[in-house]
Amino acid sequence: MSTAAEKPRSLSWRQFRAILRKDIVMELRTKEMVTSMGIYALLTMVVYQVALSQASEAFDPREIASGLLWLAFIFTSMLGLNRSLVHEKDQGCLEALLLSPVDRPVIFFAKAIGNLVFLGIVEMLTIPIFAFLFLQGSGYAGDWWMIPLVLAAGSLGIAGVGTLLATMSVNTKGKDFVLAVLMVPLMYPLLLAAVSATTTAVLGGADATTPFWQAMALIAGYDGIMLVASYGLYEFVVGA
Amino acid sequence: MGEDCTEIAVEVRELTRTFGVRKALDRVSFDLPKGAFLSIFGPNGAGKTTLVHVLTTLTAPSSGTATICGLDVVEGAVELRSRIGLISHNPLLYPDLSALENLEFFADMYGVQDAADRVRELLVAVELDHRRLDLVRTFSRGMLQRLSIARALLHHPDVLFLDEPYSGLDPHAMEIFDSLIAQIREDHTFVMISHDLSKGLELCSHALILARGKVVLSEARSEIDEERFVATYRSTVGTGVS
Repeated sequence: MSTAAEKPRSLSWRQFRAILRKDIVMELRTKEMVTSMGIYALLTMVVYQVALSQASEAFDPREIASGLLWLAFIFTSMLGLNRSLVHEKDQGCLEALLLSPVDRPVIFFAKAIGNLVFLGIVEMLTIPIFAFLFLQGSGYAGDWWMIPLVLAAGSLGIAGVGTLLATMSVNTKGKDFVLAVLMVPLMYPLLLAAVSATTTAVLGGADATTPFWQAMALIAGYDGIMLVASYGLYEFVVGA
Repeated sequence: MGEDCTEIAVEVRELTRTFGVRKALDRVSFDLPKGAFLSIFGPNGAGKTTLVHVLTTLTAPSSGTATICGLDVVEGAVELRSRIGLISHNPLLYPDLSALENLEFFADMYGVQDAADRVRELLVAVELDHRRLDLVRTFSRGMLQRLSIARALLHHPDVLFLDEPYSGLDPHAMEIFDSLIAQIREDHTFVMISHDLSKGLELCSHALILARGKVVLSEARSEIDEERFVATYRSTVGTGVS
């Protein structure tokens, strides 16, 4: 009786596109994730500005700008990651998804790519505001191409690991708290390397390339290991 | 792999599922012939939903085996999922997608061939074609349940699981639901969880009472002495849950 006679690989690709398209259509319709993440990021910028308003004239905000930026991205992503899985829990949709003949890693990759897209949109909105508030007048001495590279690599890690952790925490009572407790320690190496690479990119200088690529290698290693681990663990996590 | 549902559609042997020290299912065994309609009764916490979750591959058994259309619920889980459908008291639909988008999405997930035709055919069958572009969140409970039937039938499943499908339906919606089930009755095997004894017995060809995770009674409808059955059911509800 069953009509699911499609070749496994083409079916997986069809399922991947369907989940990603569904997430994007729902987000375009509700704007829940991007709006809440965007407003949260903007408020974080305002708080940063208040916190730094009494700094002396000699203080160079570029030295801590990258740290503040990634801190904002980490906390903002937690908000979005939780929302992305809460959609699936609504009216048992996650159950319906798991009932279909889909390999669990396909769900993981589709959700992670969706989260990466939404995080990317928020980052593109946040960075000009951040530059306007904190880097105005201090001069940007780095290579411009480094910034999108480190943002893409760092965000990939956040979206990948965050999707796995959000799936783990969505069934727990205090899911926001659980996600934060799991995510911050696990993201620590990524955060450290991303802040280092972004600081190098912002400060620039003749010898900036070597430390930048060293930090990027760390980010790439982290992304690789954590994405493979998340891929392998996702079946266990959704089945638990 | 890929066997047809011939004689036995569902075969359950010594199925046990534990959560910590609690046994939600305790050596449950039964067979269900192809085309049968099994109604499962039992008090809250008796293990009914756990049983359906194991049979629909959502939960792995702790021990024992279960096969549907010859496919093991653990080893053959991915292939099995394309042979079964679930209609629950939860609609299992995305509220922010339209009826059409929901069915198209699930058609993609099940790899349905000629998806557009199949989706249209089912929307007409459940009398929701005129609302196909409306968001599901605007639907009444009865409409949601009709759309749930369409979702569950998209991929021509052999076995349909109904988890308290009448929950929250008004009498008119129940009538529509009954007529839809009647239309597909001959082509499918059904496993239904119900708290409604009269409705469950009216529909079933086989009945089973679960209590504390164990099968208390399992009989074909033709062999059921209703008075004894009701008394057994009431005593299980009275003795509480696992």
